[in-house]
Order: sequence, then C-alpha cells, then structure tokens
Amino acid sequence: MTLRTYIIRRLILIVPTFFLTSLIIFTLIHLAPGDPIRIMYTASRQKVSPEIMASIRKELGLDQPIPVQYLMWLSRLLRGDLGYSYITRESAGKMISDRIWRTVELMILTEIVSVTLAIVLGVICAVKHYSLLDAVSSLGALIGYSIPSFWIALMLLLMFSLQLRWLPSFGVQTVGATFHSFLDAFLDHLAHLILPVGILSLGWVAYLFRLVRSSMLEVLGQDYIVTARAKGLKERIVIYKHALRNALLPVVTYEGYSIGFLLGGAAIIETIFSWPGLGKFAVDLALNRDYPPLMGLSMVIALMVLLANLGADIAYAIVDPRIRYD
Amino acid sequence: MDSRLRARSEKKTEKVHRPSRATRLFIVLRKLKKSRLAVVGFGIVLFAAMVALLAPIIAPYDVQRMFYGKEAFPPSSEFWLGTDGGGRDVFSWVVWGARTSLYVGLAATLIELLVGLSIGMISGYFGGLIDEILMRITDIVISLPTLLLLILALSMFEMRGVHIIILVMGFLGWPLMARVVRGEFLTLKETTFVEAARSMGAASWRIILRHILPNTLSTIIVLVTIDIPSYIFWESALTFLGFGDPTTVSWGALLNTGQPYLRFAWWISTFPGLAIFFVSLGFNLFGDGLRDALDVKLRE
Repeated sequence: MTLRTYIIRRLILIVPTFFLTSLIIFTLIHLAPGDPIRIMYTASRQKVSPEIMASIRKELGLDQPIPVQYLMWLSRLLRGDLGYSYITRESAGKMISDRIWRTVELMILTEIVSVTLAIVLGVICAVKHYSLLDAVSSLGALIGYSIPSFWIALMLLLMFSLQLRWLPSFGVQTVGATFHSFLDAFLDHLAHLILPVGILSLGWVAYLFRLVRSSMLEVLGQDYIVTARAKGLKERIVIYKHALRNALLPVVTYEGYSIGFLLGGAAIIETIFSWPGLGKFAVDLALNRDYPPLMGLSMVIALMVLLANLGADIAYAIVDPRIRYD
Repeated sequence: MDSRLRARSEKKTEKVHRPSRATRLFIVLRKLKKSRLAVVGFGIVLFAAMVALLAPIIAPYDVQRMFYGKEAFPPSSEFWLGTDGGGRDVFSWVVWGARTSLYVGLAATLIELLVGLSIGMISGYFGGLIDEILMRITDIVISLPTLLLLILALSMFEMRGVHIIILVMGFLGWPLMARVVRGEFLTLKETTFVEAARSMGAASWRIILRHILPNTLSTIIVLVTIDIPSYIFWESALTFLGFGDPTTVSWGALLNTGQPYLRFAWWISTFPGLAIFFVSLGFNLFGDGLRDALDVKLRE
C-alpha cells in the first residue's frame, strides 16, 4: 500500500468511527433514568403543568422512539446544530465557539512548554545515563505524575495567589482593571496563564520526559549509532542528527494522542482557576445535567481527538518510511 | 507495530532453556529487591494498606463527629492535622480515607480486569471481524478524554457515591488492558505450544485460559499496579469536582469541602492531597520496579 492509499483509507475510516462515537455518546446519555423534560425544568427551577410538558416533549421529538430520536439528533448534528441549553436556552454551538479558543490557548502553551522541556531533559539524561542529573530527573518525573494535579493546583494557588499575592487566582484577565496599553493587558493575561499552564505541563512533562529518555536510550544502543561514531562523526551530530530524529518517532504518535489526556487535565485545572474554556464548560454542564449542549460538546471534542489521532498516524507514516500500513 | 510484536515473539521462542516457575519467581524477587525504589514503593503501599486495615484503631476520633465551636481549628496536640469546616478531625478522616481509596483502586481495577481481559482475549485469539469491531470500539473509548467520558456517564445517575464512581471507572477503563492483552494474544497464538495444544484437540477456551493467559500474567500484573493509582486519582478528582458524595469519607471529599476554606484553613486541603500523592507514588515506584524485574514492555 502506498502512503496515499493509506491516508485515504484512514480518512474513510473516520466516518464509521465518528458514527460509532455518536452512538456511544447518545446511548450513554439516553440510558439515564429520568425524564429529560422534568430534568430540564428542575434544572431551570420552573414549575410547569403536565400538559405543557407533553407539548414540549412533542415539540422536541422526545415522544418518538429512541432510534428515531438518535437519527433526528444525528441529522441536526450534521447540519451543525449542536442543540440548545436546557437552562440558558443558548445555542450550544455558540457557547462552544465562545470557549474553544481559551482551551486551545492553554493546550498549545502547555505543549510548547512540555515538549521543549521533555526533549531537552530527556536527551541529556539519556546521554548522561546514570548521572546525578539523570537520577534526579527520573525521580522528579515519577513525583511529577504521582502528584494529583488538582491538589498541586490548590497548593500553588494558596501559595502564590492567596499568600504571596504574586499571581492572580482566577480568570483570564483581572476583573475591573483598566489597562493603559496593549502591553499591560497582555502582561496581565500572561500572569493569569502561569499557574494553569505550569500545572498542566507538570504531569505532561513527566510523561513525555520518560518517553523521550527511554526511546533515546534504545536508539543509542543501535548499531547505526556505533557506526556513526566509528566513522568519526562528532558526538553532537551523532546525537542530534542520528539518534534524536529516530528517538522522536514514538513521541510524534503520543503527541497526537495527548489531546485527550490534556483535555481531561484541562477540565480540572480550568474549573479550579475559573478559566472559561471547554473543560470547565463540560464539568458545569454535567453537574447541571444540561444534556443537549453536553452531547454537542462531547461530539466536538471527539472530533478534535479523532482528527488529532489521524494527524499523528499520518505524520508517523510520513516520518517513518519503515512503517507498513496494515 | 506488527513487526515489532513479531520480533518480540521470535525472541521469546528462541529461548531453549526455560527455568522452572519457582526459579523465575525467585529471579524476579531478587531483581525487585535490588531496585531500592521499588522496595520503597512497596513499603509505602504496605503502609497504606496497614493504615486502611487498622483505621478504627489508629483514628483518634469518630470521623463523622463534629466538634462544635472547634470548626477549622489548626493542627494542635488535640487535633493532629486540625479540623475541617464542620469541626471534624482531619487526621481521622485521612486515616479512614485510605480505606476508601484503596477499595476504589482495587474494585475498579477488578472490573477493568474482567472487561479488558475478556475483550482482549477474544479479540486477539479469534481475530477477524469480531476483532475489527471490538478494536474500533476500543479505539473510540481510548481516544475520548477520560474525564469527559467519566462525567458523561456519571451525570446519568441520580445517586452519587463512591460505588457509582467505581462502576463507571471500571467499565470505562478497560481499553488499554484490552489492547495490551490482545497484542500478547496475537503473538502467543502463533507459538508452537499453542499449535501443539490445538493439534491435540484442546478446546479454544482451554487454550485461551490454560495455555495463553498464564503467559501474559507479568504484563497484566504491571498494568494493574499502574492502574490502581490512576483510579485513586480519578475518584478523588471526580469527588473533588462535585461528582461524588461529599459525605463519603474519602480524600477527594475532604478536598472538595475544604476548597472554600483554602485561604483560612490550609490544612484541610493539604493533608488529603498529600495522602493521595503518597499512595500514588508508592504504587508508581513499585510498578516501575515490577516492570523492570518482569521485563515487560508496555508500548502498544
């Protein structure tokens, strides 16, 4: 199979995967005991007569059999209608597009910080295997992913925001502050980013670092590295050109899969820091049992993850010519 | 991926001499003992287990007892780790919380094991269409963010509590287990001893359970050791976020009720989190040591 047929095959495979995902999400929510209309009015704290409930049920298509409801939901979804909130009556699509960039911002910054740190540390530790730095970093990584993110978030919030008052404790911008220049506003925003990005990176660096280090160690033991050294190449070139390039292959794949992992972490951190992104949105929707936007949001996230995974697989196939597309 | 797996299976079949089971166990134990960090990890896990078992003896007060007029008291000789916003002893809560956390970790892992093993075994052994379908589903469940999936499922239930969280986590946490077991089965079913068993007319279930499964044991043990702390983490994270029952005696619940007091009473949030960290570190250290000692590679 050529690379092109592989990519086309993977693209086609996205379609059934997408439908299966929608089926899983729909089923999960519709397995829920309880009447959505009742939940809807309990959620918005309104009292409504049974007749009105029945007419709303009919209007929303909730009197139809479940498979019909699924198809109706799916067709609306495919037309870009993600549903309306039970509580605020806002369109889910708009609510999501209002928040998505805040999450994307967090994730991109986290990726930049984590990948840089992990590669630099991972390479140094693999080259200086068994050195003090290696031991300290490895133990640090173990600690880094054993620390519960929400707890360290609370602790740093307490220390840097509440006690020392160096950093803001919530939101994306200081409320009520007047900024004299764009730079002022930017710096203020940057200060709001430090804690969330730092904490999100902590776990991810720990994970990536171990990956880079072990993959680098594996590569450094290969024959072609011995050959490269034997023919008198400079150590720098051996490490950065011959070893690192190959060692980063598994990292590429993991990067694609990282989006799901990071989104989960983002939900917790966004909630603690009142960061108006998708993660906090999802938690709020679930706590309020506001199902239509929750389903829409789930599908948006699922699609993001699917595309990221596809991207990772294709990137992997391109950078590693040895891969067989089966 | 296939080629890598095949390479591994070839390496496995090349070995002519295979030490007896007892000898192998001895080798593993010796390797484990040599890794000081693994011993420390095991010590931590053992300590946590002891605390959980002896909670009624260790805890100085009844966990639910509220000391009126002593709400949010700082650590003192009377309340070693202070009291929470309702006047409950934080130390007693942390001690009893060990029980909940370990129970959650073990119970969710058990469910994961049942589901993941079944799916992995069937997929890997029978292959074909059933494998294709099961792996598609696995791909989806694995790619959806864990937290999203958990809160989606949890928001369905009217009742809140630790058992619901265990069930949901266990039934959603199997994909990695299924994939790894499937991978092992794919390589092992091509080995000579399976062929021999098949030619002798052994039934499929017998080959699966008696011939192949025991050979995947070390991988499964390592996976379980690193899954337990992640369940402990998710349970406390979910309870912290408000998806649990805040009256359950768990570390996450204390973090949840302590959050509003963060500014005035740091001890309420500090100690349960420290306990989660401590136990996770123990399991992760031990899991790392086990992985090296059992020589398990977990790359899918």
